[in-house]
Amino acid sequence: MTRRAPVVWRTATVRGVVAESPHARTLVLDVPEWPGHRAGQHVDLRLTAEDGYQAQRSYSIASAPELDALEITVELIDDGEVSPYLVEEVRPGDQFEVRGPIGGHFTWSVPDGGPLLLIGGGSGLVPLMSMLRHRAARRSEVETRVLVSARGAEDALYRDELASLEPSAGLHVAWTFTRTPPPGWTGWARRVDAAMLAELGPGPDAGARSFVCGPTPFVERVAELLVEAGHDPRAIHAERFGPTGG
Amino acid sequence: MTDLHTDGNGVAGLLEEILAVEVTTMVRKCQSCGDRQPIAAHRAYRGAGVVLRCPSCGDVAVRIGVHAEAVTVEWRGTYAIAQTGSGSP
Repeated sequence: MTRRAPVVWRTATVRGVVAESPHARTLVLDVPEWPGHRAGQHVDLRLTAEDGYQAQRSYSIASAPELDALEITVELIDDGEVSPYLVEEVRPGDQFEVRGPIGGHFTWSVPDGGPLLLIGGGSGLVPLMSMLRHRAARRSEVETRVLVSARGAEDALYRDELASLEPSAGLHVAWTFTRTPPPGWTGWARRVDAAMLAELGPGPDAGARSFVCGPTPFVERVAELLVEAGHDPRAIHAERFGPTGG
Repeated sequence: MTDLHTDGNGVAGLLEEILAVEVTTMVRKCQSCGDRQPIAAHRAYRGAGVVLRCPSCGDVAVRIGVHAEAVTVEWRGTYAIAQTGSGSP
């Protein structure tokens, strides 16, 4: 088994913020004594109010392990308790606590090999982005197919960066827009289905490692489609997020 | 959707703080249906605490209670700490 440093709460200081969409922001964090992470892991984040009230949420790490900062991308949940602060208010120099890195099931590193099948719904793309940035940082040519399901172009995270990564050998990125496709869009504009996965590949015989992340209904549906298509259930790694109060 | 579960990934930080081991790859053999699944694949239901259930049969796997001065964890089934990435004990 993998012995690791115990997870403890550490103080994170916001180094910078990057707008990713009208409803999502990346926070670039400095975390002293950060032990490093594997692509796909997450952190728990804890806010403490002046009266001592605490609120805690989990956020996937967006940055590659090779980067000298820890980045998380947070999407605004309407009426949420934590995300409005993180997306609309937080400024460089602000501090809060993080605990991590957490998780081992939903992780990938270049030596793990491929082929890889990465499927993200909405902000479920975030941990997959860490894997893709890690792959790029290591100049890996592991065969990788990516499918991102977003409501519209406005909600799509990292679209320019993914386009810049795609000329890399072995990488193919596909989008499907389920509600409001961008003007002139000729690609997929429907929910993920069996025909889409068959066209995307790789087929079930390729022995791909699949990583599926998104809201619970999205993940359940995609995982079921992959199993029905003949993919080995043990090679399907899923991470679900849901209505936790945002 | 009325079934508002997530999965075992979301409670991994809490359990790792208590146990000092990474739990998502830990494989549980369900005492009801006999299926072996990693903690990450278990369904997580949040209420006053968190309940993890077997993804195959829905039987209770772990009950976590978070109280002012203690965290209580009740385990059911058989748990094996496996190599990271390994699918079975």
